[in-house]
Amino acid sequence: MQAFVDRYKRELSAALAYAVLVIVVGIVTPSFLGAGNLRDLAMNNAAVLLVAIGMTTVIVSGEIDISVGSQFAVCTYLTGALAKEGMPIVLVLPCVVIAGVAMGAVGGALVAWLRMPSIVVTLALMVAWRDGLRWATEGAWIQDLPANFQWVGLGQTKGELILVGITALVFVAFAWALSNISGGRSFYAVGSDAEAARLAGIDPRRVVFSAFAITGALVGLAAVLNATRFSIVPSNAGMGLELKAIAAVVVGGTAITGGRGRLAGTLIGVALLGTIGTALTFLGINPFWEKAIQGAVILAAVMSDVALGRMAAWRISNFGLRARTGT
Amino acid sequence: MNSTIPRTRDLKLTAAWPARVFPNHEWVLLLVLFFEIVVFSIAGDNFFTAANAFEITRLSVEVGLLALALTFVIITGGIDLSVGSMMGLVAVVLGALWRDAHLPIAVAAGIALLLGLAGGALNGSLIARFNLPPLIVTLATFSLFRGVAEGITRGIENYSSFPSGFLFLGQGYIGGIFPAQLILLLLAIAGCAWVLHRTAFGRSLYAIGHAPDGARYAGIDVGRKLFFVYLFSGLAASVSAVIYVAHLGQAKSDAGTGFELMAIAAVVLGGTSIFGGRGSILGTVLGLFAIVVLQNGLRLSGQPAELAGILTGALLLLTVALNRIALFGPSVRTEETSEELDVKNSQVAILSAVILLAALLVAGSNWLLVRSLKQNGSPVVPVASSVSEKKLTVAMMPKAKGDPYFASCRKGAEEAARELNVDLLWDGPTDLDPAKQNEVVEAWITKGVDVIAVSVENQAGISTVLRKARDKGIKVITWDADSEKDARDFLINQATPQGIGYTLSDEAARMMNGKGEFAIVTASLSAANQNEWIKNIRERLAEKYPDLKLVTIQPSEGDRDRAFSETQTILKVYPNVKVIMAIAAPAVPGAAEAVKQAGRTDVKVTGLSLPNMNKPYVKTGVVESVVLWNTVDLGYLTVQAAYALGSGTLKRGDSALKAGRLGTVQVVNDEVRLGAPFIFNKDNIDRFDF
Repeated sequence: MQAFVDRYKRELSAALAYAVLVIVVGIVTPSFLGAGNLRDLAMNNAAVLLVAIGMTTVIVSGEIDISVGSQFAVCTYLTGALAKEGMPIVLVLPCVVIAGVAMGAVGGALVAWLRMPSIVVTLALMVAWRDGLRWATEGAWIQDLPANFQWVGLGQTKGELILVGITALVFVAFAWALSNISGGRSFYAVGSDAEAARLAGIDPRRVVFSAFAITGALVGLAAVLNATRFSIVPSNAGMGLELKAIAAVVVGGTAITGGRGRLAGTLIGVALLGTIGTALTFLGINPFWEKAIQGAVILAAVMSDVALGRMAAWRISNFGLRARTGT
Repeated sequence: MNSTIPRTRDLKLTAAWPARVFPNHEWVLLLVLFFEIVVFSIAGDNFFTAANAFEITRLSVEVGLLALALTFVIITGGIDLSVGSMMGLVAVVLGALWRDAHLPIAVAAGIALLLGLAGGALNGSLIARFNLPPLIVTLATFSLFRGVAEGITRGIENYSSFPSGFLFLGQGYIGGIFPAQLILLLLAIAGCAWVLHRTAFGRSLYAIGHAPDGARYAGIDVGRKLFFVYLFSGLAASVSAVIYVAHLGQAKSDAGTGFELMAIAAVVLGGTSIFGGRGSILGTVLGLFAIVVLQNGLRLSGQPAELAGILTGALLLLTVALNRIALFGPSVRTEETSEELDVKNSQVAILSAVILLAALLVAGSNWLLVRSLKQNGSPVVPVASSVSEKKLTVAMMPKAKGDPYFASCRKGAEEAARELNVDLLWDGPTDLDPAKQNEVVEAWITKGVDVIAVSVENQAGISTVLRKARDKGIKVITWDADSEKDARDFLINQATPQGIGYTLSDEAARMMNGKGEFAIVTASLSAANQNEWIKNIRERLAEKYPDLKLVTIQPSEGDRDRAFSETQTILKVYPNVKVIMAIAAPAVPGAAEAVKQAGRTDVKVTGLSLPNMNKPYVKTGVVESVVLWNTVDLGYLTVQAAYALGSGTLKRGDSALKAGRLGTVQVVNDEVRLGAPFIFNKDNIDRFDF
């Protein structure tokens, strides 16, 4: 038991916070736990979860990607544009995923092979993708899509099942791969110590590159799935998505300095941050305080490190400082 | 990990002077800056003038102060994302202390600076004392500071009418030309350069950035130094906020939104390594001006603002890539061996490539500019060559270019511009951003346009600049939303806030038969227009519909998906709600989709939005009606009025204006009236396409 707590203490503290939130709100307003609300929460956070899965691989590799929100906007618009051209959605999906991979690959290549700092690269790309999209679209939305665009023509119930099903499938596949196959473990190896990974026969550049490319693919998938929930496609989707995803990953216990973290934690992080806003409305708390409370939750999550053991925290972030200056 | 080894270049004080003055190839930026100035002097109107040079520096003071502080932070290997949010918090606290607590402005500013120090101390202690990663800590306080600012003002409060002595700090000129706040920036630059490059404290920051453990072993108190760095960052953010408030004449919780990214971009562009241990104040200053001059120059050449974002991104990638290659060699593995740095020839070759690429970049934009100039310069068909002495230039600004509402206004504006053969400049912030609006107007004054037409995001903020434009003989029109009355010649009034609020209330009352609960989904909680409408809705309810109950107001942040999820929650928490009133264009389709998916046929949606994006919902009956005016006509009328005003046919006291296809339009005092708000419903919506 002690070993279990030690092993999962970061995830456990986030899970505990989530449990407290759900129970408190559930007691005060029981309808919060109604099937309808839980379903809506799942639907509204599925896209964030997909992006956060990609973000986890990037952060575990010791990098960061703040261009995902802009990538999401481009992919969403592309989904609508292709569907409007009459392309069936089964073909749109791979096309948009490829576009996502391409955008992720631009960042990945610059970071991996030119060894440019990922925060700078993706900052530049974040501005460039979104301003490029604005320039091209001038803010126009895509309307008059074919009738079978929404829910892929299957109707709401089946469509929602597909969305949640695909997200769950991706989550399970990645959770398994990250801990059980060598490709997944190599993210941790590179994030812990790129030089050691290289000496062990792993090419850090390829690992970092694939983390960005995979994230791009997941952003593309998330964009298509999210777009098909509606009958109109906006040109400004995904505002602030990068911060949501990064915050969720970090709240879920993944070390921002790389090398450590689990997807289970990311899932809890997405759930926790994605629920706060809704919970506040259920509790009748003024929405003006939402951002402040979210900030406090992130702080509390990182501070729990300190509470859970000064020693471990010291070791980790001390390592982290070195990793920041080095890789 | 290898860059923790100190580079000999940094340590060798006896190096040749270019390496000493420009340790991080800052001279590349100097070249870029030089190219920018040359290109824009040719392509831009009135770019190369002393007045414009001062204007550029004035606009860069706020971001500049943040960038200076961030240079320190980033050299230690840290980051501070919270500075922009800190500005928002300091701004509203300053406003509250002055207006509500009736403190003298100097005392209020002093307390505001203390607040900045406290915020910096919070970041600093978490990072230095608890060894938490700076990225996370400041990501959390980024959210926290802005959230507290919104919380205490409820997003609505907008403090303005500050004393003129205080406003001088941000708007005044010393000796008629020298911007007041520039002195502060120059002092800050000198001070920072001295501390960073000439004191033991400054050197120790480099040591910490290179290798925190090594610095500790060398007897440097790492925690204490880091704490001071973040403390300084908080102070810089608060000084910046005070100047921002004085500059815009208003304090609101959205002050400084996005400034952190621009400041970080300037620092990194200036050659400071994001990993720490390398960088200079000179680089930051050059990086800052490279960005600001680019933005200003593009504006004066009539290029869209998005291009500035794309080019800044490209410039950033390019300089960092080349810096990287120049410092470490093209391959990762040569890093260990290149310690001697005796690769002079290859470095020369690479640096030549830098210049070449920078030149290409600038030449590319140059080509674009010259091409567009040619297009603008030669009228395709001289319509009435005998009459036209000089083509009128009308500069028209939306609140946000990315908003479909304004995209449809633009359609009408361009239609009128073609008919009247005027040059139409259409530019503005990409998202709601009052500071950006001021910048664009300043640029237009410098450029020397004939008429400026602005959709005002913030009254108090923009009125000073508009008055300045009028002083220079430029005609000023406001459209869509008004400035202070004496700051413009005419207002193109599409509908008053009262008209909108009352029409929306009447629609809701009609749908609910005068009784029941309804909810509002607004834009952002601090949006000025929406808050004004909500005020009028409440008035109307109190006066005429006492049985209508407004149960909640939720934000959508102008995001359709957010409006969707907020509406879902509203429907569950307030099951008796009969009408969702969405008062932002993207929020109506979001709310409608949520109602539709919830299967709540008993709930109706209404609100303020564009007909096109709501057609499917109006036709299926989810959206009962959409209230708006004809936005294409609004754009059309604005350019018509601008033309009439610019050519002298429209004067104060007129009671009518001939406006092309709109026929004769009513003019009342200083307002040109488009007409009453229009209600789009199932029967008439197909007649409109915007």
